[in-house]
Amino acid sequence: MALNPAFREGARAGLRAFVPISVGVIPWAIVTGIAMRSIGMDEFESMGMSLLVYAATAQLGALPLIASGAPLWLIFVTGMVLNLRFVIFSAAVAPALHAQSLARRIIGGFLLTDTAFAVLGEKLAQSHDPVWRWGYYIVPSIYGWVLWQSGVLIGVFGAGFFPRDWSLEFMGTIALLIMVVPMVRSRPMLVAALVGGFGAVLLRGLPLRLGLFAAILLGIAAGFAAEHWHGKKAGT
Amino acid sequence: MIEGVWLWLAFVLLAVTTLVTRGSFIVIGERGRLPAVVQRALRYAPAAALSALIVPDLLLVQGSVDPLNPKLLAGLAVIAVALRWRNPWLPFLFGMGVLWATRTFLT
Repeated sequence: MALNPAFREGARAGLRAFVPISVGVIPWAIVTGIAMRSIGMDEFESMGMSLLVYAATAQLGALPLIASGAPLWLIFVTGMVLNLRFVIFSAAVAPALHAQSLARRIIGGFLLTDTAFAVLGEKLAQSHDPVWRWGYYIVPSIYGWVLWQSGVLIGVFGAGFFPRDWSLEFMGTIALLIMVVPMVRSRPMLVAALVGGFGAVLLRGLPLRLGLFAAILLGIAAGFAAEHWHGKKAGT
Repeated sequence: MIEGVWLWLAFVLLAVTTLVTRGSFIVIGERGRLPAVVQRALRYAPAAALSALIVPDLLLVQGSVDPLNPKLLAGLAVIAVALRWRNPWLPFLFGMGVLWATRTFLT
């Protein structure tokens, strides 16, 4: 398979598109590594988390819950909500990979990242050769995985060199902020974020940190409502 | 903090969320299609969830709202930098810089 010229051609095209943008992933990976260590996880646990979970948002989002000893179901639900967008990406990428074996689809699914979807998604739908598409998708995705784990490794082992009172865990919040800023360019998205954010502050008194979950649901509902209201106002 | 076996169980549960969401349609194949309304509502999930994690960290100091704390100022600096420049390192430099500066000079 790897020697198939269509596969190699796809892989080359995929890497050409993916590599320049992938540089932006490195600070997040390093910061995720530092953030995991800063809540008190050791090197082994941090790398274990990164290798198993492989999702920056879910990893960073789960850290405050892990640090505060939240119940496991809440960690699961939070991870689910933070990863929910991938259901949509997965639905978009699925037709391009449906000719592959089940094992390949499971691996391909696990490696589906925001960056991979953003960079590769559109062209994936255009080629009619399933072998080319597989090369175009899987090779950059594997490269992205290696890059991510390398960055995390640097963060995990570099974290010890930074003094505690530097509050490096705040870099986790900064990373989340960097992700949310480009998302809230449209009015409904901003409404969803504001309701989710301030809802979490106002509802923080609810037991079992249920306020977080309720705030996220309120945010989704508010964004959806704003979209409808906005659409009606615009006459569509 | 969650420790030992429970910590690893948390990792496994989180790994399941990664695999289930990303794998969903790719693994099922072409048979499944989400209702359009659900798809459109789900688009707001990441923004709402990220913000629900960020805002409490920026506004709360030991459990109560403090509108003038170093983390909020640092957060606002991060938003300003992220809106202005595409460089992925700058928000970290400015954010941590503002956090340390305000802690050093204002407290």
